[in-house]
Amino acid sequence: MNPEIVPTHRKESLGEDGMLFVRTEGIVDTMVKIPLLVAGMIIAAAMMPIQPSFSSPRTLDLIIYPDGLTHVSTEIDVDPFVTDYELDLFGSTIDNFVAVGENGFLLTADVVGNFALIETFGSSVISVEYDIHDLVSKQGRVWTFSLDAPSDFTLLLPKNSAIVGMANLPINMEIIDDKNQLTLSNGQAEINYLFSTNSIIPGPEDPLNPASAPDYLSYALIAGAVSAAAIGTAVVIRSKRKIVKSIQDKQSTQTTQKTETVDAETIFKLNPDIREDDKEIVKFISDNGGQALESELRKKFLQPRTTMWRAVKRLERNEIIEIEKKDLQNLVKLRKNVEKEE
Amino acid sequence: MKTLALFTIFVLIFGTASASLANDAYAQTDPNILLRIAEQADKQISKQLERSYGDSIPSDIRSLFLQGHAAVESLEKSLPEDVEQARNDFLTAMKSFKQISKMISEPVGKAAVSKLTSVVDRDLSSELDRLEKHVENLKTISEKQNTKITFEEIDYLIGEAQNQIKDGTATPETINELKHLVDSIQKEISKSSSHSASDRIKQFVEKQLEIIDRKLTKASDAGADVTQIDNARDKISEIRSLIEESDISNAKIVFNQLNKLVKNIERSVR
Repeated sequence: MNPEIVPTHRKESLGEDGMLFVRTEGIVDTMVKIPLLVAGMIIAAAMMPIQPSFSSPRTLDLIIYPDGLTHVSTEIDVDPFVTDYELDLFGSTIDNFVAVGENGFLLTADVVGNFALIETFGSSVISVEYDIHDLVSKQGRVWTFSLDAPSDFTLLLPKNSAIVGMANLPINMEIIDDKNQLTLSNGQAEINYLFSTNSIIPGPEDPLNPASAPDYLSYALIAGAVSAAAIGTAVVIRSKRKIVKSIQDKQSTQTTQKTETVDAETIFKLNPDIREDDKEIVKFISDNGGQALESELRKKFLQPRTTMWRAVKRLERNEIIEIEKKDLQNLVKLRKNVEKEE
Repeated sequence: MKTLALFTIFVLIFGTASASLANDAYAQTDPNILLRIAEQADKQISKQLERSYGDSIPSDIRSLFLQGHAAVESLEKSLPEDVEQARNDFLTAMKSFKQISKMISEPVGKAAVSKLTSVVDRDLSSELDRLEKHVENLKTISEKQNTKITFEEIDYLIGEAQNQIKDGTATPETINELKHLVDSIQKEISKSSSHSASDRIKQFVEKQLEIIDRKLTKASDAGADVTQIDNARDKISEIRSLIEESDISNAKIVFNQLNKLVKNIERSVR
C-alpha cells in the first residue's frame, strides 16, 4: 500500500534539475476546505451552551405570599459520589426547610446562615423547599421583589397584586388561580408591585404574538383546498342567494331587537380615562344596538385592520366590550355589566 | 468517500449549532406580554396618581408619567414588527412607573425600606397557607417512608385555624401552636427515617469504598508510594468500623480525608 506518485507527463523529460511534477488539482481545494471546516467546528463548539453541571438547579419556582414571604422550591442535580451538598440559600431567614432525595426520603440538613448542608449520600437529584423572608421588601405601598437567580425561574405573584415596575424582560406570563405567574431569566431580577382589586393581566389572545403566529404555508394549502371546494359550490349558493338573504335580514332584525342597548355616556363616566378615538367606537356600537362587526367598525372609521384590532382589544382589556366569533368574523358587543374598576 | 466525509462534518457542525439556536429561541420574550404588563402598570399608576394627588400632580411626577405613558404607546405601535424597539419601550416605561411608584409611596423623599421580618402585623392567613403547604410536603414524605405518623390532630387544628381566620377570631397563638406541632412531626419523621437513612449511608459508603479500593490497587501496580497506599487502606478500615458503630459524622470526616488522599495518589502516578 505504498502511496504512488503519478507523474503528470510521463513522456516529458524531468528537466535539468530533475524536478518532479505531480497532480495538484485537489490539493488547493483540500488545503482551503479543511481549515475552514475545522474552524467552523471550533466556532460551533464555542457557540454551544455550557451543559448543565452539578449544583445547577433543574427547576426553580417561587411563590410570593400576600405578606411578602416567599416559598422557594427547587430541584438540583448533585454529585452522587459525595456525602454532602452545600446549598446556597437566597437569604438567612428561613422557615419550613425540607430537603428530599430522589427516592422521596427526607435528607438530614443543617441550615446555617445563608447556606444549608444537606447529607445527600448518593442522591443525584435533590428537591428542596423552604420559606424565606429576605426576597421582598416594602416601601410605603410598594413591594419590591429582588433576586440574583442562578437559573431561569417562575414567580407566582400574590392575588390582587399589580406590577408597577420591572428591570428585566420576562420570558413568559401566565395566569394561575387568578394570580400572575412570570417566567424570568437567570441573573438579577427586580419587580415592584402593589395591591389592587383589579390586577389580573388579560391572557394572550392575539394575532400579534409571533409565538402563536399561524403557519401560513399550511393555511395557504388549506385555503387552496377550501377555495376549490367553494368555487364548486358557489353556483349552487348563488342560486339560493335571494332566499338566504331574506332569512338573514329577518335574523338580523331579531338579534338587534334582543340586544340590550347600553348607554355610552354611562360607560364614559365609569371609564374617564378612555381615549377619544375609543369613545367614538363605543358610541357607534351603542347606537348600533350594542354590537357591531369588527369589519363594520373598520369601514365606519376607515381604519386599517391592525389599528382597529388594537382599539378593540384595548376596549376589551378595559372590560367595556366583549368579542364573539360569528361566521368567522369578530362580533364586538358592549358588555352588559360594566362596573367601575378600583 | 470525500462527499460522505464532508456531509458528516456538516451534520456535526449544524447539529452542534442547532442546540444553541434552540436555547436562544426558548429565551425569546413574547413581545405581546410586554404590552400587557406595561398597559396594566400604566393604568395602575394613573389610578395611584389620581388617588394621591387628584388634579394637582407634582410636575416631576407628571413628567415621569407622561414619559412612561408615551413609552407604552410607542410599545403598542412597535408591535408586532419592531420587537427590539418594543423591548426598549417596555424597559423605559417600567423604569418610569417604578420611579413614580416609589415617589408616591415616599413623598418625603427619604425611603425607609422595611424588611418583612420587622413588620409587626402578621398576616395569619398567609402563615396558615404556608403551614398547610409544609404539612402536605411532610405527609408525602411520611407516606413514602411508611412512618405511620398520623396527621389527624394537625388536620383538625388547621381546619380550626381556617375557621377562626374566616370569623376574624384567629390569634398569633393559634398559628404558633400549629408551628410547634408541625416541628414535632418533622422531627418524628426524621427520627423514623434515621434507620433507613443509616442503611442508605452504609450502602453508599460501601460502594464508594469498593471503588476506592480498586483505584488503590491500580495505583499500587503503577508504582505509587507504598506508605500512602497503606495509609489509605487504614482509612478504609477505619471508615468501615465507624459505620458499623453508626458514627456517621466521624465516618464522613475520615471519608473526606480518604478522598483527598486518593486524589493525591492518583496524581502522583499520572
